[in-house]
Amino acid sequence: MKPVDSNAPRPSPWLSVRRVFGFFFFLGRRTGRARVFFLLGLIPVALAVMVRILLAGRAAEAMSVFNDILMVFYLQFYVVILALFYGTSVLAEDIEGRTMAYLVTRPVSKPSVVVGKYAAYSALMAIMTEVSLTLSFFIMNSGRLGEASLYRVFFGYAGVLALAILAYTGLFTFLGSLLKRALLVGLVFGFGWENVIQYFPGSTQKFSVVHYLKSLLPRRPVTGRGTLSVLLFRLEPTATLPAILVLVLVGAVCVGLACWLFRTKEYLPEE
Amino acid sequence: MTSEIATRNLSKWYGNVLGLSDVSLEIEAGITGLLGPNGAGKSTFMKLVTGQMKPNIGTVSVRGAAVWNNTSLFSTIGFCPEADAFYEDVTGWEFLTGLLRLYGFPDREVRERAERALDIVDLAADKDRKIKGYSRGMRQRIKFAQAIAHDPEIIILDEPLSGLDPLGKRKLIKLVKDYRAEGKTILVSSHVLPEIEAMTSRIVLVHQGKILAQGDIHYIRDLIEAHPHMISVTCADPRAVAARFVADRSILKMSFGTDGRTLVVETHNRDAFFSRLQEAVLEAGVEVDEIRSPDDNLQAVFDYLVGK
Amino acid sequence: MTVIREKGYYHWDGSLVERRFPWWPITRTGILLAFRKKRFKLFFAAAYLPSLVFLAALYISERLEDFKFMLRGSERVIQITPGSFKMYMTNDGLLFLLVLVLVFAGSGLVADDLKHNSLQLYFARPLRKRDYLLGKMAVVFFFMLILTLVPGLLLFVFKLIFSGSFKFFTAYPWLPLSIIGYTALLTVFFAFYTLLLSALSKNSRYVMILIFMVYLFSDILYGILHGIFRSPYMALFSIKSNLAQAGSFLFGQKLPFGFPAFWSFAVLAALCAVSALVLRRKIRGVEVIK
Repeated sequence: MKPVDSNAPRPSPWLSVRRVFGFFFFLGRRTGRARVFFLLGLIPVALAVMVRILLAGRAAEAMSVFNDILMVFYLQFYVVILALFYGTSVLAEDIEGRTMAYLVTRPVSKPSVVVGKYAAYSALMAIMTEVSLTLSFFIMNSGRLGEASLYRVFFGYAGVLALAILAYTGLFTFLGSLLKRALLVGLVFGFGWENVIQYFPGSTQKFSVVHYLKSLLPRRPVTGRGTLSVLLFRLEPTATLPAILVLVLVGAVCVGLACWLFRTKEYLPEE
Repeated sequence: MTSEIATRNLSKWYGNVLGLSDVSLEIEAGITGLLGPNGAGKSTFMKLVTGQMKPNIGTVSVRGAAVWNNTSLFSTIGFCPEADAFYEDVTGWEFLTGLLRLYGFPDREVRERAERALDIVDLAADKDRKIKGYSRGMRQRIKFAQAIAHDPEIIILDEPLSGLDPLGKRKLIKLVKDYRAEGKTILVSSHVLPEIEAMTSRIVLVHQGKILAQGDIHYIRDLIEAHPHMISVTCADPRAVAARFVADRSILKMSFGTDGRTLVVETHNRDAFFSRLQEAVLEAGVEVDEIRSPDDNLQAVFDYLVGK
Repeated sequence: MTVIREKGYYHWDGSLVERRFPWWPITRTGILLAFRKKRFKLFFAAAYLPSLVFLAALYISERLEDFKFMLRGSERVIQITPGSFKMYMTNDGLLFLLVLVLVFAGSGLVADDLKHNSLQLYFARPLRKRDYLLGKMAVVFFFMLILTLVPGLLLFVFKLIFSGSFKFFTAYPWLPLSIIGYTALLTVFFAFYTLLLSALSKNSRYVMILIFMVYLFSDILYGILHGIFRSPYMALFSIKSNLAQAGSFLFGQKLPFGFPAFWSFAVLAALCAVSALVLRRKIRGVEVIK
């Protein structure tokens, strides 16, 4: 076979990203962890079945349970956990696993590796969350399948989850490229800061990702008391378009910073 | 003519620890052995050459182009890392084809290249087993396969023989020599000197981050004038042969083996000794069983250079 | 006949002495490794914050006149009783910080050994499985006890010192035993919990997520189920709630949930039993490749 020309033009970034995406999307599906996280996403589905049976004929209450409880579970636990693990894994997995040598000695640019992996893991997470959301939503609302407005609400929820994945995964990818112990910092941010800041009034809420996500919910959750207060809070929503822009920007800027850091920094495994 | 791999004043620190110090080297086509004990700086050098690390001082280039962040170069480079690390949940086939796709080969070519690489390393029968089920030798072979599957012109092998059985080592050494015959450039590192000796006589000796010597092993040995050459002669009557050299001023020392059949001579002038040896043996009427240079090998050269 | 003059070795005539605590080197190494991690010291120090806050409360409770300007009629809040100790030891913040310490110190305990195939090295020594497990658990014991039992007992002592009499002790002589009992329960449970999750994967980052996720998710699940079914028994799904229920029982306080404390003890014991079973299966000297 003819050897490749060393003066060949650099491969197009889009093609490189696609190749990296294909490899890691396949790899991500293969791991046992993906199965565990997928099963975790089926718990709301089981709860939806239970609620549907208990609240048969009480559609408004079922919707309220979905909105105030299940949706908050998705937004403030499930997506955060997934994004934290997969986002920090974008670089840490290959550095700690010492497989980075296989990637950086290929004709794919370092930013392509970051973007490709980010896209692959985001796609994987999107499948896990959207399948779970779809099942739980339509089970809870199985008595209203003929209503057009139901589907608008569903796509609203699906869109919010997708934006949540993009924003959180981007943020944790950046943290993973910046810090060695990104997971712990991410835990403190995702379950500490994101919860606590929501109790603060005024503009302070805008310093959290979850604020913008909840501003986009088709039906916003009520202020919580008691045991669920950790999940529910006071919301002073941001308008739709700015909220979407902020979330997309957070994801894009963080991934961009991660690309820049990966390109300029050296990453060596701990000996 | 541009060297295949060239470094100028290359230095690398890990915090306060010096990994590589002021290395200026030019590596041409063919096989070059990078030799040194553990921690000498061999892997550091290879990581710098393959763009995994950035030099603190100096430059490293492959075919005249700087390596760091130069992705187009990697189509021509194949790297076999030292670390025993893989994506454990995939099969050997999936591992190879997945990495080959990163080069942009069409699917059919990916399959053909993967099959060829697996045949070369004798892993075709185990290609559908998960890598976590592979033995140590199989893991080493699949690592080598991913380094050569895309048919690179420059192959960089970091301790490629580690974990292989004697037959596997022989096969790989033969393979490396075949690549040299094809005109490829191979840089291979090891701390096991006989393995490198079996592959090439062109070596770079590394110790504590510095290059001690570079070139042909025999030429390097000759350069070490501070240390005399040792020659061992096994024959029926070594004392009769020794008697003919007592007056020779180029002979520094003579000793006899405990078996009563060996004469060991130290001399500054090896060529003169060998030409005199023929006459001495004929005059003594002695049959010679063996003539060796015990210190004309890599280990001896290395020991001399590091001052043992 | 050949006579061997120099073999270069000698038969050892001594007898093999078994170490009294064969698990101790494992524990010592685990503790040292945890402290070597950069940010661990910060989290470890932060885990003492609730004790410092409680210490301040103890001090204020004995100097109420000096702090009247601050309290303004809410002096009753600062009355120190066994309930205060129970509240301090079962509070969410302390448990959250303990879980973070476990994430740091405990995630790699078994996971790293599985990743590097070290179990074969361990069991090539005169070490039994229980020594290995005890050694690893003792790492968790160390951190849990030093962050709960030691401050708990010290705070009791400080209470006596600040009050200047043994009145508090004579009023509640069983309180130190409650502190010991609850911290023992907490320690043993978290040791089993951490080792179970650490044995489930070779990837210590994934284990970190698991340690945090399972703890948090159990509480969220309780919240969701309680929201749906309105039954106090849903608290049995929550690790935090079970610890709170057991703690209230041990401190002789009113139970926070409307079911017998026995059920919480049973749930915690069942989790420990599951952990023991899984560890028995996972920890073996021979690697089985499927």
